[in-house]
Amino acid sequence: MFDNFLIRNDSLENVYKDDKAIGFKFAARIADYRGCFLSLHNGYYIECDGVEYPRDLQKFEVNGKEPRDFEEIKKCVWEHWNYDDEGYVYVEKEGGLTPGLHTIKFQQSILATYGYMPWDAEWLKNPPVPGHGAGSGKTANICSFDLELQERR
Amino acid sequence: MSIKRGVSLYSYQQAQFFKQMNWKDMIKEVHENLKTDGIEIIDEAIIRDYPFPSEQFIFDWNNEMARYNMNAVTMDVYLDVHQFRDHIMTHREAAERLKNDIKIAAKLGFKNVRPLCLVPIEVIEMALETAEKYDVRIGKEIHAPLPIKPGTRVQPKTGMAAALDFRMSEQIIELAERTGSKHIGLVPDFGIFQHSPSQVSIDYAKRKANIPEAIDFLLENSKNYSLDDIGTVLSEKYPTHKIDPGTIERMSLHESSANPEDIIDIIPYIVSIHGKFYNMTEIPGKPGCYEDLAIDYETPIKYLKEKGFKGYINSEYEGQRDQQDRGIEFLANEVEQVRLHQEMLSRLIGEKI
Repeated sequence: MFDNFLIRNDSLENVYKDDKAIGFKFAARIADYRGCFLSLHNGYYIECDGVEYPRDLQKFEVNGKEPRDFEEIKKCVWEHWNYDDEGYVYVEKEGGLTPGLHTIKFQQSILATYGYMPWDAEWLKNPPVPGHGAGSGKTANICSFDLELQERR
Repeated sequence: MSIKRGVSLYSYQQAQFFKQMNWKDMIKEVHENLKTDGIEIIDEAIIRDYPFPSEQFIFDWNNEMARYNMNAVTMDVYLDVHQFRDHIMTHREAAERLKNDIKIAAKLGFKNVRPLCLVPIEVIEMALETAEKYDVRIGKEIHAPLPIKPGTRVQPKTGMAAALDFRMSEQIIELAERTGSKHIGLVPDFGIFQHSPSQVSIDYAKRKANIPEAIDFLLENSKNYSLDDIGTVLSEKYPTHKIDPGTIERMSLHESSANPEDIIDIIPYIVSIHGKFYNMTEIPGKPGCYEDLAIDYETPIKYLKEKGFKGYINSEYEGQRDQQDRGIEFLANEVEQVRLHQEMLSRLIGEKI
């Protein structure tokens, strides 16, 4: 679902700390027709220009709060990511991205279910690593985006 | 009084995603252009800050529904058993979520909630007292690949069909009879009368497949194999195919999961119906009349009419998701699709407009 529209195409920016680029971020939407309890949000498969950035390099910003890593997100069992809302995915990358066009391959992982499933115990113990389809909700394909890095605001 | 028409706002999910319509625009479209009053919602899509909607949202919702004299028919509710992440939700916890959803539904004026077909019957029973207290009926969904009555159908051991209980409708009726409760029933989804994959999903599957002919192979040959076997046969014929199990299941559909005549016996338990559809096209030789080529609407509606069903069939458009992998020029027009579906519904139910 929303394959080509999960990342807003004018949202790719570098992230700065003390005037140094420490990574990049982009705005994403939920790959489903409903919102979710934030705790179910299990990270992303992100490949930028052929380099994979695993979940421990990612943070997620939503609901007007500071970016949180996915260990913190896991604990947000009463917070909801509303269907209408965009969130920012932050990726750590020293120096950030160079100006110009970048190719991002992307799959979201949300552990939403329609009830009890045979793999529940496995998901509890070993949540699926994003990018393999399991837990990818309604968009089972890895989607590719060509995004222009926006100027520093 | 005949069968009534309504719309699930699920149908406009893409317009909501792109902020082309909000829930108020959707209600207005149903009132002004579809000339009907039935509204169904997905709780986690429409209710801002679910499960803690503000007093303002609740008032705003009820006010808007009153403004157009609308009828809040069914609220679709969910069960995510991994919410707490440190344990799988117990059945009692699942019942707490359902009970809370019932209370929210009551505040928003809904007559029914729709839990999913995978929700254990025990969970439904635990929430029944709350349903009675708030006068909200629980309608458990009969969703494909479920039958209404299992009959002689052999349940597959793979795919979604393996996780479901084919005796679901029977269990609900047994619970209703045992408790004598009028607050328990069923929400059949017209997807159970889908007999073949929709053209829009075939086109999507082919665009995604590394070997598009493998999709044709499934379409042509699935009727000769069980769902458990077709995957093996496909891999023998196309060893390098990368078609996921869900797509194999969808493309292998060659008969409806339920028999249309089985709907007759469950009519007293139907709280409302999902009018699932994927793609409305004009009927050849009948200008202005539309149909979904993949789903039998005519036969079940004939039975519903004959046997005096007077509840709502709510349009539930789902074809848009198969057309979102290309440019915006290829996106489906949800408003138009729902209008065409409503044309079909009003014609089939014999409504005088």
